[in-house]
Amino acid sequence: MAKVAFNDEAMREVETLFSRYPKKINALLPLLHLAQRENEGWLPPGWDTYLAKLCGTTVNHVRGVVTFYNMFRTVKPGRHHIMVCNCLPCGVTGGGALLEHLEHKLGIHPGNTTEDGLFSLEEAQCLAACDQAPVMMVNEDLRKKVTFDEVDAWIKQTRSSGE
Amino acid sequence: MAQEKLLLLKNIRTKGYAADLAAYRAAGGYKALEKVLGKSQGGMTPAQVTEAVKASGLRGRGGAGFPCGLKWTFMPADPKDKPNYLICNGDESEPGTFKDHYLLMNDPHLFLEGMILGCYALSCHHGYIYIRGESMYLIHRVRKAIDELYAEKLLGSNILGSGFDLDLTVHPGAGAYICGEETALLDSLEGKRGQPRFKPPFPAQAGFNGCPTTVNNVETLANVPFIINNGPEAFAKLGTEGNSGTQLVSISGHVQKPGVYEVEMGHNLKSLIEDFGGGVRGGLKLKAIIPGGASSPIMRPESIDIPYDFDSVMKAGSMRGSGALMVFDEDTSIIELANRTIRFFNHESCGQCTPCREGTFWLKNLIRDFVDNAGSEELMQRVDRVAGSILGNTICAFGDAAGAPMQAFGRVFPEEFRKHFLR
Ligand SMILES: Cc1cc2nc3c(=O)[nH]c(=O)nc-3n(C[C@H](O)[C@H](O)[C@H](O)COP(=O)(O)O)c2cc1C
Ligand code: FES
Repeated sequence: MAKVAFNDEAMREVETLFSRYPKKINALLPLLHLAQRENEGWLPPGWDTYLAKLCGTTVNHVRGVVTFYNMFRTVKPGRHHIMVCNCLPCGVTGGGALLEHLEHKLGIHPGNTTEDGLFSLEEAQCLAACDQAPVMMVNEDLRKKVTFDEVDAWIKQTRSSGE
Repeated sequence: MAQEKLLLLKNIRTKGYAADLAAYRAAGGYKALEKVLGKSQGGMTPAQVTEAVKASGLRGRGGAGFPCGLKWTFMPADPKDKPNYLICNGDESEPGTFKDHYLLMNDPHLFLEGMILGCYALSCHHGYIYIRGESMYLIHRVRKAIDELYAEKLLGSNILGSGFDLDLTVHPGAGAYICGEETALLDSLEGKRGQPRFKPPFPAQAGFNGCPTTVNNVETLANVPFIINNGPEAFAKLGTEGNSGTQLVSISGHVQKPGVYEVEMGHNLKSLIEDFGGGVRGGLKLKAIIPGGASSPIMRPESIDIPYDFDSVMKAGSMRGSGALMVFDEDTSIIELANRTIRFFNHESCGQCTPCREGTFWLKNLIRDFVDNAGSEELMQRVDRVAGSILGNTICAFGDAAGAPMQAFGRVFPEEFRKHFLR
């Protein structure tokens, strides 16, 4: 099992983060983001305890925070985590159709990961890019005016390269 | 043909604008900061900056339209034992709203200059910019612009030799609409679950870590450099009575040219759709609009020949809110809009208050009945009753934001609900 601790490089980022806030606990959200970045997009067991110690709070507090926010995950996502906007304006201008298309193409419903671990799918609320509908976020990358052809080609290429 | 009134988007609309510090300065940027902090023009005191913002009539662009200068006067003028904080609200999660992202992405320094001026006015030495966590690309963008400022000594200690010290930090959210509500945002910034607080105490009394705090929207702050450079009168001259300045409008939905447009406050709503949005796409007819984000009541085409500002849209029975104008063509199902709206609010309710947590859940189920063509007159009344029971009964304004539009769908488009009655 991988070690539950930041490596030296990440630790330097932690120190910078702490220096930007009056209290260590204030840095909890950016710390959780950092922990996820270091762990393929999720928080493996033990990280809640580790982060609690790091910023001087209880593990219950950390768990409360983790479960409150959409972006913190205690289940490993796919290598490509896809969030399709199916909110108000996007939903009626192609977002709904894009989500359906992806469900069909990947063979999974939102909230799940493909068996090969390559893709996970999520239905998103407004991503503040409604004029670019339909939009989807792949990890940190916002893709605009997405077409089915483009998605199909990307999925095919990702599957064949396996990453 | 109506034209944009460019005050905030002037740089962005200039071809080839690079949006970095050098380009912003070349376009006259950071002149307001020099006027206030620099020695050459005598400088301005924090109270003078606040006074100018007050005199300009600038109202908050985050949704509620609260007078910005007035809000600033609630802060202690001379903080002693506790520091003052200015927090910028860049959460921008209201469905249909994308103007803050647009501004920050394409001209971050305009906002940053306003933020620095705001911090100075409030005697704040560490400001935070809260940006939603999904938008990592934007967080990187703003951090890069802040790095440029530190490198040029426009942030840090003794800015422009004035003796004023300031640090700015970008704080990432993590996917929760409620964190746009200012007290939830403060809890989130403190490292907690983002749950709105009881008021009073108001943030100006006990905000971030219990210290005096002001929360302002991105666009609100971005207006400050203009006010300082040109004087409050130049700003107050724009717009309508009680609604001064320009506004960024996010137009989305079934229009030919969705996007962010800058017009004077009080620009005709119909013209926004036709002259800027390019009208309904595909030659279809207009069926409905939602004028100010998902929290604002839906309107019929007959009632949109009005000035688009806080007071006029309110008078017409809806809200300007965050300036998110959503346009829907004749093929749109109103029940679908109601369904999307309530699914959003039910998903995003923080769960703290029973009327909101339970009310949005039951509304979702009720609307589902209409989606399944199993509605009835009685169920329609129940939607109205359940939505009404949320209004005014919650800690924060989320309850009203969810309840009011849900009542409006049935009130404004009853015939659309009837189409989905059980036969
Ligand atoms: C549920 C809810 C969500 C909100 N979301 C935002 C938001 O995303 N951005 C924003 O600036 N204000 C938002 N607000 C308004 C803020 O609470 C606050 O009034 C605003 O940030 C103050 O800034 P202003 O006076 O400059 O408008 C929201 C309010 C509520 C009740
Ligand atoms: S509704 Fe999809 S980005 Fe706003």
